[in-house]
Amino acid sequence: MNKKFLLYLGCTIPTKQYAYEVSARAVLPKLGVELVEFEGATCCGFPLKGINKNAWIYMSARILALAEQYGLPVLALCNGCDVSLRETIFILNKHPGLKDEISKMLEEEELELKNNTRVVHTIELLHDTIGVKKIKSLVVKPLTTLKIASYPGCHAIRPTEIPRPENAKNPVKIDNIIKALGGETEDYPDKSGCCGATMLPYDAENAIRISAGKIRTLKDYGFDAVVTSCPYCMEMLDAKQEIAKSLLEDEELSIPVLYLTQLVGLAIGLKPGELGLDLNMSPVEDILEKIEV
Amino acid sequence: MPIAIEVLTSKHLLRIREIVGFQHPEYCYQCAKCTSGCTSAKVISEYKPHLIVALTKLGYIDELIKSGIIWACSECWKCSEFCPQEVSPVEVVLALKNIACMLGVKPPKAIQEMAKNVIETGYIQNPMNITTKDFELISREDLNLPQLKEPYKPDKWKEKLKLLIGGASNE
Repeated sequence: MNKKFLLYLGCTIPTKQYAYEVSARAVLPKLGVELVEFEGATCCGFPLKGINKNAWIYMSARILALAEQYGLPVLALCNGCDVSLRETIFILNKHPGLKDEISKMLEEEELELKNNTRVVHTIELLHDTIGVKKIKSLVVKPLTTLKIASYPGCHAIRPTEIPRPENAKNPVKIDNIIKALGGETEDYPDKSGCCGATMLPYDAENAIRISAGKIRTLKDYGFDAVVTSCPYCMEMLDAKQEIAKSLLEDEELSIPVLYLTQLVGLAIGLKPGELGLDLNMSPVEDILEKIEV
Repeated sequence: MPIAIEVLTSKHLLRIREIVGFQHPEYCYQCAKCTSGCTSAKVISEYKPHLIVALTKLGYIDELIKSGIIWACSECWKCSEFCPQEVSPVEVVLALKNIACMLGVKPPKAIQEMAKNVIETGYIQNPMNITTKDFELISREDLNLPQLKEPYKPDKWKEKLKLLIGGASNE
């Protein structure tokens, strides 16, 4: 299978969550993936869906039309971007009238929308395109001493009406990758639950209560670390961990949080610095010690 | 208070039907499965998606908008997954948010700010210098990441986005 992908970063990753971009750019080529820079790509519109759904669809459709010019499948690193682009494809295929309307807007910008771009998310790229067998064959630092939680994040799972990277009833792909890397994992309550990020603008304190609850569960289940593939989940679990600790006055609310790409990178022998691990705010050094990196 | 019959066919209600798209708010039979699994309801007790759907169907749209509660939705789509009736309360809430903005109600500050940035730069925020645990300031350049490019046809982008979301940005 051709493994050339258009790298679509969205907003949060290239403006703040640099660790995801750094680790994806370092790890994916080692797994045989060629990443092509996506010139002129903008926000997918996901955070602005509440303002105007048609604006969101226009923004996502514009990304799809731009991608068609490259004739390559799109790799969306962010859960929000992935769901945004794929829901847009789904809606426009169902509503020819809306598709005509959006196509007209794009024609004014010399863009044509065929609406047949293939979009894949990091989880699918690793699990389905590259495959766990190949990943397993490249492991030089097996994560044998670690019990790691898989946290796909809402938008890798829902809405269930459209194709999603993970299955809502039983998300297992990240788990399979953890096992391929030599790590241990198990299910835990609300594994397919929400990190609370979208609530931040409305009620920051309660949003952090949601992510704090998640960390509490992970601690109760004895996990050494948690991996995610979403920049919003990362922001809530990793960057806001210190605030969660003081908000709930619970010093135990501390767990290393890593991007899936960072975890794969460690196991295939990349150095923490190459994977942007010094940018994670959670105590990732705890697991680095355990796997002797 | 008696319900005036005209609210049941109000243009807002019709507009909601239009924005919601392929889901069916009219099928809701108030089983409250959505609320039992709702992320936001766990921390904000006043937030009850089944109630929002019921009030919307009864036409209490201005009241829902005025209360501001619609912005408490976490957009996790659990309500949609759990719903046995293809209602998708989250889609109803999104439609209510859209109508609020259409009527000139401003979304929460952070969303206004994102809208403003998206219009101007194509991204919800400008690339930040982030702080590490050792209080070191790191930029994209420090990490040898390529510089962010401007949007494809930036003038057209600005023009269209201003029309579509300009009213909700904090300009």
